[in-house]
Amino acid sequence: MSAGTTAVQQRLQEIWETPKTFYGWFSTVDHKEIGHRYLATAFIFLIIGGIEALIMRIQLAQSDQSWLTPEAYNQLFTMHGMTMIFWYAAPILSGFANYLIPLMIGARDMAFPRLNAFSYWTFLLSGILLYVSAFMGQSPHGGWFAYAPYTSLRYSPGYGMDFYALALIFLTVSTTVGAVNFIVSIFRLRAPGMAISRMPLFLYSTLTISFAILMSLPALTVDCVFLELDRRWGTHFFDTRLGGEPLLWQQLFWFFGHPWVYVVFLPATGMASMIIPVFSRRPIVGYPYVAISTILTGVVGFGVWLHHMFAVGMSDIAMSFFSAGSMTISIFSAVQVFCWIATIWKGRPVPTAAMHFAMGFLALLVIGGLNGIFTAIIPVDWQVHDTYFVVAHLHYVLIGANVFPVFAAFHYWLPKMTGRMLDERLGKWSFWVMFVGFNLAFFPMHLAGLGGMPRRIYTYPAGLGLDGLNMTATIGAFIFGIGILLSIINFFQSLRTGQIAGKNPWNADSLEWETDSPPAPYATVHIPTVVSRHPLWDDHDEEYDPKNERVFDDGRETLSTTWLDAEPQSIMKMPEDTISPLLVALALMLLFLALVFQWMWVALAGAVGTLFAGYYWLWPRPEEKLA
Amino acid sequence: MSLAVAPVRSIPVPLETERGTYGMMCTILTEGFLFVALFASYFMLGSNKERWRIEELPKLHYALPMLAVLILSSLVLHWGERRVKEERYAAGRIALTLTILIGLVFLTLSAFDYREHWQHLTPSTDSYGSIFYTITSFHAAHVIVGLLILIYVLFLPRYAPAAQSPYRPYHVAAMYWHFVDVVWIFVVGILYVGPHL
Repeated sequence: MSAGTTAVQQRLQEIWETPKTFYGWFSTVDHKEIGHRYLATAFIFLIIGGIEALIMRIQLAQSDQSWLTPEAYNQLFTMHGMTMIFWYAAPILSGFANYLIPLMIGARDMAFPRLNAFSYWTFLLSGILLYVSAFMGQSPHGGWFAYAPYTSLRYSPGYGMDFYALALIFLTVSTTVGAVNFIVSIFRLRAPGMAISRMPLFLYSTLTISFAILMSLPALTVDCVFLELDRRWGTHFFDTRLGGEPLLWQQLFWFFGHPWVYVVFLPATGMASMIIPVFSRRPIVGYPYVAISTILTGVVGFGVWLHHMFAVGMSDIAMSFFSAGSMTISIFSAVQVFCWIATIWKGRPVPTAAMHFAMGFLALLVIGGLNGIFTAIIPVDWQVHDTYFVVAHLHYVLIGANVFPVFAAFHYWLPKMTGRMLDERLGKWSFWVMFVGFNLAFFPMHLAGLGGMPRRIYTYPAGLGLDGLNMTATIGAFIFGIGILLSIINFFQSLRTGQIAGKNPWNADSLEWETDSPPAPYATVHIPTVVSRHPLWDDHDEEYDPKNERVFDDGRETLSTTWLDAEPQSIMKMPEDTISPLLVALALMLLFLALVFQWMWVALAGAVGTLFAGYYWLWPRPEEKLA
Repeated sequence: MSLAVAPVRSIPVPLETERGTYGMMCTILTEGFLFVALFASYFMLGSNKERWRIEELPKLHYALPMLAVLILSSLVLHWGERRVKEERYAAGRIALTLTILIGLVFLTLSAFDYREHWQHLTPSTDSYGSIFYTITSFHAAHVIVGLLILIYVLFLPRYAPAAQSPYRPYHVAAMYWHFVDVVWIFVVGILYVGPHL
C-alpha cells in the first residue's frame, strides 16, 4: 500500500482482504477474485473449443480426407459446440458480470458471496466432468442439441450421452445460482441514488438474462433427466413404440435453447452499450429505448423457439406465429443497433482497440441478423435447414455478437483488472487479423450451404464445387486463431511492460472507474452516491462523505437500498471467507460422476455429502449473528 | 489506529434481513418452471394420440388425503411463523415439529400410493408410466428437500438472541414449504383428478 494510506483504508483492507495462502485461495468469496477465475476458466474453454474447431477445419480443408474417423468427427463437433455454447459463451459473460457489477453499483461484493464462489466451483467442476469423457474416448457425439432418439442407448451406446446429460444438469446448478445472485445484487445493492432509471445498461442486460435463465434452464434440466432416465432407467419418454415422443426432446430443448441464445448475446450488447458511448465521448443516444428493447428481447425470446424446428412438420398456424415472432425480435435488435450508430454519429469517436472490436461487433451483428431473417422465413429455412448456411448464421451471431464484444470488453476493462494498459497497436492488429480471418472462414459457408453442403459431415466428395470454399474457410479459421493469439500475447506483455493505467484511463462514466486499478478488496472507502446516469461525468462528488457515514468498517458490510429508487435502507452483513462452497461443489461432482456410471452407493454418498456440506455452510458460526 | 479518523456512524441503520426472501423468490420461480416443463411434457406426451390407454385411472383415495395433509401442514407452519414473529419461539418450534411430522405422514401415504399403482403401472410400462412416476417422484424429492430445510431450521441455534431472531430463516423455509404444497395441488389436479373428468 502506498504511503498515503489512511487508517480507515488499512482497516478496510484488513477486513476485506483474503490471505494469500493455500487455504485462502480455495476459500475466497471476493467477487473480483471469482470474476478473474471465471474469465480465465471460460477463456481456457474458448481455446479448447477453438482447437477442436481447427482440427475439424483441417479435416474439411480438402475433399475425401479421412484422417478423422466419422465417430471422432462427431465427438469433436459435439464437444466443440458444448464447450463454446455452455462452458465459454455464457460463463465468460458471468465472469465480467461478477467482476464488474459490484463495482458498477458501488457495492463491496455480490449479495451472496459464498453462493458466488459455489457458482464458480460448480462451473469448473462440471466442465471437468464433461472432459472426463474425452479422456475415456467416449465423448458425447449427438451434436450440442442431442436429438432423441439418436441419443438413446440403443443408437448411442457407451457413456458419451450420459456425460452430456449429467454434465449439463450439473452446469445448470451453477448458472441458476449465478442468476439468483445477479438479480438480488442488482435489485438490492445499488449505490444510493442509482435509481433503476440510472443503471448502467450492462445491468439491464444482465438482469434480463438472469430472469431468462431462471425461467428457461429448468426445461433443459427436465430434458436431460428424461434422456438419462430413458437411457439407463427404463422409461419411454422418447420411445415411440411405447407412447414416447421424440419431438418432446426438441420442444423442451429449444424452449430452453432460444432464450439461451439471448443469454449469450444480451450481456454482450450491454457491454457494447457501455463501451461505444465512452469512445464516442458522449452519453448513449436513446438510453430508455436500449433498456426497453433489451428487456423485450428477453421477453419475446421465449416465443420463438419453434423456429429451430420448422422442418419437423407442424401446423401452418404454429409456424406462422413463430416466424412472425422471430422477425419481431429483429426490431428490438435494430433499435439497439440504430442507437449505437446514432451515438457514434453524434459523438466524436476515438478509434481505440476496444472501439475497433465494438465496431466489428456491430458489422457482424448486422450480417448475422440479416441472415437470421433469411432463416426465419419458412421456405428459405426449409431450403437451408441443416446446411452450412445455418453454421454460417450461428457463427456470425455467436462469434460476432459474443467473441467480438468480449474482446472489446477485455481491451476496455483489463486495465481496471490488472492495472496496466494493453498495447493499442497490437490490439488493433489483433482486431484486423481476427476480423479478416473470421469473415474468410465463415462467409464462404453461406455459399457452401446454399450449394447444398450439409452440416456435420466428416467429409465430402470432390467435384461438388465445395473444395475451394472449404479451403478458404480453413485458411480463414487459422487466421482467426492467429488474431486471438495476438491478443493473448498482448495480455501477457501488458502484465510486464504495460503502461500503468491509473484510476480512469478512458475517462469513462461508470462507477467502476472510481476505484483504483486494480481495485482494493473493499473497492471504495466510502460507498458512493449517484445523482445521474453518468456518475463520473457529472459535477457530483460520489465519495463526498465528511462524517464518514458510508464507510461501514464494523466487519464485512455493505449498504442495501430499495430496489426502485435506491434509497438507503439497511446494512448488509457479508460472510467471511469459507471453504464450504467448494466442499458442496465437490460432493455434487461425486454425485454426478457416480450417476454417469450408475454407482448408486457412491451417488448416495455424494448426496449425503452434499447435504452435510450444505448444513456446514449454512450453520451460523458463534461469532456471527443470524440475519 | 488513530481516533481522529475513526469513522462515526451517526445514522442508525438497521441490519438487512430480506436477502433470503428475495433469493427464495428466485428459487421458487425457477423451481416453478421446472414443474411447468414437467406438466407441459405430460400434456405433450398425452396429446394427439390414442396411445395412452390408461387402463386403470389413477386412484384418488391416497392422493386426496395427501392433499389435505399437506394443506394442514402449511396451515400449522404458517401459525408457527406468526408465533415466531411475535417472538414466541417455543410455540414456533412446536409448530415446526408438527409440520415435519405431517410431512413424514405425507411421504408414508405416498409410499402406499406408489405400492398400489405399481401393481398395474411401472415407469417402464409406457410413456404414461414414465411421466406419472417422474412427476410424482420429483415432487416427493422436493418434499424431502423441504423437510431437510425445516429440520435445519428446527435445530438452528440462536446466537445473540437479543440482536437477532430466528424469524428470517423460519420465514424463508416456510416459503419453500408452501411452494412444495402448492405444487401438489397441481399434481393432484392434473395427474390424479384430470383423467377422471
